[in-house]
Amino acid sequence: MGIFCSEKVIEMNQYENHHITASAKQLYSCHVCLTLNSFDEDHCINCGAKLHSRNKNSMQNTIALLVTSIILYVPANTLPIMYTQYLGEKTASTILGGVITLWSQGSYPIALIIFIASVLVPIAKILALSWLCYSVVTNKGYSFKKNHRLYRLTEFIGRWSMVDVFVVAILVALIQMGTFMSVHPGEAALAFGALVITTMIAAITFDSRLIWEPVNKKPDFEGEMVDG
Amino acid sequence: MTKTEQLACHECDLLVALPELSEGQKAVCPRCGYLLTRRVKNAQSRLAALSSGALLFLGLSVFFPFLSFTVQGNEREVTLLQSIYSIGDEIFLSVAIFLFLTTILIPAVFLTGMLYVLLSVKNKQLFPYTSKVLYGLFMLLPWDMSEIFLVGILVSFVKIATLADISFGLSFISYTLFILCLAATLMTLDKFQIWQWVKYRDERNGNIL
Ligand SMILES: [Zn+2]
Ligand SMILES: [Zn+2]
Repeated sequence: MGIFCSEKVIEMNQYENHHITASAKQLYSCHVCLTLNSFDEDHCINCGAKLHSRNKNSMQNTIALLVTSIILYVPANTLPIMYTQYLGEKTASTILGGVITLWSQGSYPIALIIFIASVLVPIAKILALSWLCYSVVTNKGYSFKKNHRLYRLTEFIGRWSMVDVFVVAILVALIQMGTFMSVHPGEAALAFGALVITTMIAAITFDSRLIWEPVNKKPDFEGEMVDG
Repeated sequence: MTKTEQLACHECDLLVALPELSEGQKAVCPRCGYLLTRRVKNAQSRLAALSSGALLFLGLSVFFPFLSFTVQGNEREVTLLQSIYSIGDEIFLSVAIFLFLTTILIPAVFLTGMLYVLLSVKNKQLFPYTSKVLYGLFMLLPWDMSEIFLVGILVSFVKIATLADISFGLSFISYTLFILCLAATLMTLDKFQIWQWVKYRDERNGNIL
């Protein structure tokens, strides 16, 4: 993956085999500017930010936010996300209802995008973060590398659940023809926005370095570290 | 400027001695695969050009018609701002504010801050609060959702394509160009490198913050 001059690769591999982390060497990495500071420093010698090795309360906050998002997931998917008024008749549609309509109209790719972004991604994100918290709390090894990939995926895809809220906003803006045809936002738009925000903050709060904690404690741990 | 430096992987805390990289090379964490840093050719001028371009296109996209929708002879044309705040009745005000923040204000603040830092690094002496601005930039980054908004527009088009005629306005083109420039900016941006610029500018002038 990386492009290194050959002698530099050897230099990096030495660290890899011993799993020396910054905290094992009594060093804090400044979360703001990435400068290494010694444990004695309270503030970063480079940028002056307050230092802490592992995010304090990271786990409790993540779990609290996860519980909130599980609660929000229910109204987000059961309440209507928008109301369509057509010739005086008002119909409510939920996210899932919208997906089914799109599917029946033959817009399969769009139906899939909405289904994945609005229904699968939030629940996958909640499950992934719960699994990561469980792995960290129980302190079992599992696969660090896989857990780590899971974390990065979680961080990357979470924001995309917002897409349906944007769709509703645009439809509401465009389709305003009075009683003939108009679209109004539904309560689920609110729940969805809140859901995305809480899962995003949960992912940001979760300190990904905790995943590697068991390896750091046992330097000779035989986990699956290196692919080849 | 690229002297050998130790750093801890941001994602797994592994201590890595960073090899000296030349332009076009990148370094990844040997344990978790996190991209530690990369050297892009002419990074400073590229970043400056791309982020000012993005800011310009974003600015322009506010002034012209964004989208229009025609059904049975009735035409409705909306601007970028209208397409965001129309949802904001009563309880949905918070949604409208959130959309405004994530699609316009946060990207605009981000790009302005980026230009401030780049100018500051170019200048003989760092401008005040350069480190703080740079810190803020990386905090804002996950909250920029402009590209999701664009996908949202495309999805809505498919949803209503059978009902009516939809057309793109000048602002829409401008907004799309803004997203392309912003994406190119983010692909060029490297957290470690930009902090190195600020750091060494500081040391040269002997004023450690
Ligand atoms: Zn710092
Ligand atoms: Zn790493």
